[in-house]
Amino acid sequence: MDKTKSPLKVALYGMDGRSYKMMSMYLQGPCRGAAVVVNDINAECDIFDADTINGQQLLQEHLANKVQRPLIVLSLHEQQQEHIIAVKKPVKTDEMLAALAKAREQALKPQTKPIANTAMASDASAQSKVIDREVSTAADNDEAPKEAQLKRYVIDSDEQKKSSKHQAAMQLNEKGFGSFIGTLTGIDVNDPKQFARAYYNPKEFFQGYVDSAFKVSRSKGQVRQLNSGWNPLIIFPQTDEVWLDVDESQLRAFAGLAINKTLGEKMTVTPLPQDSVNSERALEGFYSMDAFMWKIACWASKGRYPVTIDIKQPVYIKHWPNFTRLLVTPHALRIAALLVQGPRTLDNVAEVLNIKPQYVFVFISAASALGLAGQVKREADVLVQSPEVKSNKNKGLLSRILSVLRGKKA
Amino acid sequence: MSQYKIIFTGPVGAGKTTAINSISDVPPIKTDASASDMTKFRKSSTTVAMDYGVMNLPGGEKLHLYGTPGQERFDFMWDILITGGIGLILLLDNTRADPFQDMRFFLDTFDKFVSDTAVAIGVTQMDLSAKPTIEDYHVQLQGMGLKPPVFAVDARVKSDVSLLVQALLYTLDPGLEG
Repeated sequence: MDKTKSPLKVALYGMDGRSYKMMSMYLQGPCRGAAVVVNDINAECDIFDADTINGQQLLQEHLANKVQRPLIVLSLHEQQQEHIIAVKKPVKTDEMLAALAKAREQALKPQTKPIANTAMASDASAQSKVIDREVSTAADNDEAPKEAQLKRYVIDSDEQKKSSKHQAAMQLNEKGFGSFIGTLTGIDVNDPKQFARAYYNPKEFFQGYVDSAFKVSRSKGQVRQLNSGWNPLIIFPQTDEVWLDVDESQLRAFAGLAINKTLGEKMTVTPLPQDSVNSERALEGFYSMDAFMWKIACWASKGRYPVTIDIKQPVYIKHWPNFTRLLVTPHALRIAALLVQGPRTLDNVAEVLNIKPQYVFVFISAASALGLAGQVKREADVLVQSPEVKSNKNKGLLSRILSVLRGKKA
Repeated sequence: MSQYKIIFTGPVGAGKTTAINSISDVPPIKTDASASDMTKFRKSSTTVAMDYGVMNLPGGEKLHLYGTPGQERFDFMWDILITGGIGLILLLDNTRADPFQDMRFFLDTFDKFVSDTAVAIGVTQMDLSAKPTIEDYHVQLQGMGLKPPVFAVDARVKSDVSLLVQALLYTLDPGLEG
């Protein structure tokens, strides 16, 4: 790893929970990730708040230990100690960046003195650090509501770089839908006369194998690998992540193909050897399990509904999908808003919203893949009529707001 | 001309100011003051009255975006702010000690406004704290008899905030066409 480009690993001292978090965010945000907070064992630099009740004491103890790594001290007062990098409060970003640059320079210098009990950080990649921070209740008197005493959270620079996992949702419009999802031959899924055969069987696609592998991996609580004769898919059930090293066009093509018997027989789910679990992997290959499953279900569906859905029976969704982290197909938000109100048949949804059925079918395929969609089975359920969709009195205004927002995807 | 507004609320540090900034057409007007617990580092001030942003709509209309101050001692302002509002965006910070308690507090506080309009919930800081999950929020909400949209949100990302507001509008009327 190139130390001149990676964030400087810093440990924080003399800060209560709120200050600790603020500083972590400050380094990520205004300081543009110039440094990242880790625990003291892995740190390359120490940052002290010298103005807190125990800050000075901790600082003196730290200096007495002669820890051989750069030390940044934040204080309202002038600092007299040698070998420290002082930053006067209120902290200004330019000054903080200059201090971090100086600390980085010092950290890169070869050490001439013996290293003290807290060693220089190794160059190993940062691992997830679960840190208990005591949250100051005194400092939070203004807040509503009051906070409890402890909160555990993860500070992990790698986690934040998993762009495929955290990135904002891609939103498809009607124009881009066909080319993105893929086309079908031999059937017009938007023709009501052909609805009865406008389905697909997820088990015959990559989606079905991934679904089985997810279930096995989750039930065993074990990192597993789906071997397909293609690039292996690695499943991390503890973090709800998968890792796959292929570009999106390859994945789309593979997910859209029905898997024949020969290939199907090659599909296996095996435990990943322990020494491979912690191997370094390209961060862009990580996806959340939900986002991955949602996407491959869309590609398998190509505008059809899953065979598990009875086209004549109403469907509902248990709750809204987490759309900011999922592929947003055309009209998906409207469909979700309608189905969360109560069950409806798929063609009724298309009719009420005045949209092509393929958009309803692809949505319900993805929602079913995540277990969000359900279907009423009893006759009594069908008798309960869904609420009538009433136009909002501000409909014109709301539509104008929407048109502006949809033009601001950003 | 009528005053249309969307209200952004949530605890201190949940990203209300940033979210308004993400979709406002003008630099947001802040009414900040120094805060004793935040002066040291990034946030030298906190919102004590309200944040304000504007979205310009076709035809010259404006949608006003108001952010409530997070501090309880300014809650006398909340009623004034919500008057005439078309819906509520509730932002929750997932790194706080008990985000469910925050959620219940704000939903209780704005109970009448939410029942008259709608709410959409954005959970921020999920890259720092993955738990509770979005699913956990839905379980809590279903216990309260609510099914609002709940999305993971990075308040700095315009498309995240935009999707959340769109979901709020579709909750008000799924028949809308944008």
